[in-house]
Amino acid sequence: MTSRRGFLKAGGLAVFGIGLGGLPTFVTQAAAQIKQPGLFKRRKTLVCIFQRGAMDGLMAVTPFTDKHLAAARPTLFMSAAKTGTGKSLIDLDGKFGLHPSMVSFESVFKDGRLGIVHGIGSPNSTRSHFDAQDYMESGTPFKKGTSSGWLNRAVGLLGHDAATPFQAVSLTSSLPRSFYGDNPSVAINNLQDFNIKMSGNAKGANMAAKSFEDLYDTTAQGLLKETGKDSFEAMNMLKKLDTKNYKPANNAQYPNSSLGNSLKQIAQLIKMDVGLEVAFAESGGWDTHFNQGTETGIFARNVNDLSESMIAFWADMGTLQDDVTVMTMTEFGRTVKQNGTGGTDHGRASCNFILGNDVFGGKVHGKMDELAKENLEDGRDLAVTTDFRSVFSEVADKHLGINKDGILFPDWDGGHIGMMKG
Amino acid sequence: MAGDESYRHKPIYMKTILRYFYVPFFLLISILIFSSFIKKDKNGIKKAYKKAGLTDRQAAIHLLNRFTYGPKPNDIDELLKIGLDKWFAQQLQAKLNDKNLENRLAGYDAINFSNKQVAEVFPKPPQVRRMAINDGVINKDSVNAGDKKEYRKLFSAYMKKKGLRPQQELYRQFISQKILRATYSENQLQEVLTDFWFNHFNVSITNNNSAMFIPAYERDVIRPNVYGKFEKLLIATAKSPAMLFYLDNFSSVGVNEANIKAMELKARNSKNPKLALERFNKNQKNKGLNENYAREVMELHTLGVDGGYTQDDVTQAARVLTGWTVYPISNYNGGANMIKTLDKIGPENLEKRGYVHDGDFLFTPSKHDTNDKVVLGNKFLGSGGYQEGADLLSILAHHPSTAKFISTKLATRFISDNPPQSIIDKMTKTFLDNNGDISLVLSTMVNSPEFWSKDALGEKTKSPFELAISAVRALDADVQQPYQLYSWIIKMGQKIYYYQAPTGFPDKGQYWINTGALLNRMNFGLALASQKIKGVKINLAALNNNHEPESSDAALKTYGKIILPERDLSATIDRLNPFLTDPNLFKKVSKAVDNVKPTMAMEDTEDEQMMTEKQVKKVQNNSTKNPSFANNMMLAQVVGVIIGAPEFQKR
Repeated sequence: MTSRRGFLKAGGLAVFGIGLGGLPTFVTQAAAQIKQPGLFKRRKTLVCIFQRGAMDGLMAVTPFTDKHLAAARPTLFMSAAKTGTGKSLIDLDGKFGLHPSMVSFESVFKDGRLGIVHGIGSPNSTRSHFDAQDYMESGTPFKKGTSSGWLNRAVGLLGHDAATPFQAVSLTSSLPRSFYGDNPSVAINNLQDFNIKMSGNAKGANMAAKSFEDLYDTTAQGLLKETGKDSFEAMNMLKKLDTKNYKPANNAQYPNSSLGNSLKQIAQLIKMDVGLEVAFAESGGWDTHFNQGTETGIFARNVNDLSESMIAFWADMGTLQDDVTVMTMTEFGRTVKQNGTGGTDHGRASCNFILGNDVFGGKVHGKMDELAKENLEDGRDLAVTTDFRSVFSEVADKHLGINKDGILFPDWDGGHIGMMKG
Repeated sequence: MAGDESYRHKPIYMKTILRYFYVPFFLLISILIFSSFIKKDKNGIKKAYKKAGLTDRQAAIHLLNRFTYGPKPNDIDELLKIGLDKWFAQQLQAKLNDKNLENRLAGYDAINFSNKQVAEVFPKPPQVRRMAINDGVINKDSVNAGDKKEYRKLFSAYMKKKGLRPQQELYRQFISQKILRATYSENQLQEVLTDFWFNHFNVSITNNNSAMFIPAYERDVIRPNVYGKFEKLLIATAKSPAMLFYLDNFSSVGVNEANIKAMELKARNSKNPKLALERFNKNQKNKGLNENYAREVMELHTLGVDGGYTQDDVTQAARVLTGWTVYPISNYNGGANMIKTLDKIGPENLEKRGYVHDGDFLFTPSKHDTNDKVVLGNKFLGSGGYQEGADLLSILAHHPSTAKFISTKLATRFISDNPPQSIIDKMTKTFLDNNGDISLVLSTMVNSPEFWSKDALGEKTKSPFELAISAVRALDADVQQPYQLYSWIIKMGQKIYYYQAPTGFPDKGQYWINTGALLNRMNFGLALASQKIKGVKINLAALNNNHEPESSDAALKTYGKIILPERDLSATIDRLNPFLTDPNLFKKVSKAVDNVKPTMAMEDTEDEQMMTEKQVKKVQNNSTKNPSFANNMMLAQVVGVIIGAPEFQKR
């Protein structure tokens, strides 16, 4: 922590010339910065989206030729056959079909930029949301005591110090478990809120900001001190940014949803070159116990929001696409059989999506046996055939150049499944 | 009768014996018994904090920081006058006069509505639409097409005519009452515990089915049961519409052989057997088990995730709880059919048929799984009906894992984020020995020196709600528009009543203190102190008996002591002094005031905080005409900084 601070004070702030005074605008400074690769090199960014509540992977990417699934889900099963009424699944490879509300994924899949891993999950068979999320985010499925999150450890393994407080940013109102740890990371719900304000009294606000900065700098409360420092550094950097009037590139249309807004702000930070390398966003409402629907309904709305948000982000990235990879994750999947109330209960494996130019896309990776009862975990759930860590570590390795699995995922020595290029 | 005779004489005989032989012995025994029933010890708290090395004053503040929403200006002196033990006993009784609060709540009519009234007065928009279409007020085709504005006008005129009100108003009243109760109730512990137990048995307005029943849930299910037996609270939540909808149990249907056969037979013998059988088969497919509540009741409400249950226990418990559903509250959404069925049976026959109707709760035997089940090694006979579920909840409520889980959670809330194991053990024992009596568990906690440990003082991080309420209490604010505070509480990261997951808000400082939210805590302090929160009036001078502080240094010292009593603020004061004693401060502040232009307010996104031109004029006039105005600005800034300072984030 101290080394970063030293670097920040000596390097980051001096380079950027950010302070409370009226220095040249940050954007100009940052633009000038790109020309000095020795000091600040553009880095790759990994964007992770956590789908909280456990996405029904079998409905998102359906093995539509499986008769057992059709039988287990009399009112939830959709077919890939084009019928007169209603929408059908988008046939990906003759075996798997994409939910029709994710139609915007079709072209990136066909272009080979979107990869899917099916049968992904945790070796720990807990069906508790909170435990499973905790295990996935700490990256240690059998250890509750792990204090750090895997993305925070990833930041530590990047091999260089943070140039700014924005190396790891979560677009959430609180710090996610994945970001817990000693390496710098910040949670920002809304870039526009990132300021000390006194309405009608800008000078007063400046003075108050100064006193708060001093107070938090000297407090003995560790958590408040560190968070305070991050806050003021980030605030000072964001000061000159016009976050309100942001115009996405290539006419990208972000859904006006929590996820859409998060990805939009991540795009802003990436474009403004604030040194963002690990970003995190959340998507909710996946716990579909009750009336999850088929081509319309809760599930359809959720996958539509997910795919539209990701595709808008991808379009917005434009020429920066090579530097960005987006990966989704969810704590577990849902029962093969639909429950008594038009929904599905907590299950085991699900699927995830990885979007980027270094992804071995256009393919459904992983292994899925026929969903006959004898092939199911505990006789009810899609079996986990790919440990989530093998996918996470492959993405971290190939996209961010992190190859110290022993630290990223302690107690794990599995291999990669070859879903990334290189 | 001889027996009678001897019986009559026995007391006298006993008395004599007792007086001479057993009195000392009995005294000894009773001392032993009473010391284990700490509740009876009138000075238990005093002993505990003395043992931990606290002064009376430190202890009083700690008690207020733990069991109220923060001390008001005179609270410490009043508490010391009453005595800590007596104060705590009073709080456990929760019978203090609350006239002030009642007056402030008088304008909020909807918070007293029954679920039925709520459903009648605050229907969901689709229901209103259907009613309006049926009444011919709105044309069915105009709903999706045509003039939206015209449609909305018709819609709201129709609502007004029918005496219907938008649901948002219900939630607004509900949220306002929580803020008012937390701020003004004399029975503070009751409000703190209501918050604790609501969060433990969390339900969320984000759930469309559950939402409108949440006000009654807090009022009738949570608040009256916060001090009693845990089992009572658990069963009350299990039977409430809010919980039944939120965790889906209302819809969970078990395999009921007899009923399936009867229905199939009925279909076969109907006028159109083919159609009826088709419908029957389709219905069967859509009926069945939902595990959601069964899992969360074990994981989150009772045993805890490591409490020793398996996936099979979850499924079997879900089967035990099939048929636990909501009594039809309105005709809407299938309610009409259910009411018809129940009317046909007749209320007097419900019990005979195995139904249980208790307020808004209904046990429906036809939806109950009639096979035998085993949960946590306990066998439930399929014929048990409602009683199976009641027995299961009772077993869960008294389980050792539950005692431990609840004690840990209480200790985390009331002591520190990582409470010592020794006190959790004591509380767990009290829980198990006393049938899950919550008051006794709390008494055990405050009577233990660990509760008063210096490590625990000021160790809890205030949640945004706690921060906001403790600030208005510390400043003795007059909260006329509580909903204005709510928008700040959301900005600081806590959208109360809208936490989607059944875990409730995490009770850890780390969750609340993160980068973005921290700046908003500081902004809140500044906005509150400078009277920029509409409908929240403060009088800073009155807090100091209308003595205007001589200097900024004096202001800092005086108001620091008022807002953060007994805290060592010397570091804060040293740190702020150079800035505040800047000889140009007054000039700067008054210049800033003079410079106020409407455009400068634009940096603010909160419309409600924007100054109109007229207000700006007033401010400018004030600063030139009234020399103390700059001083007031300075004072507001000092107080704002204290509220936003690190020390005030802790309790």
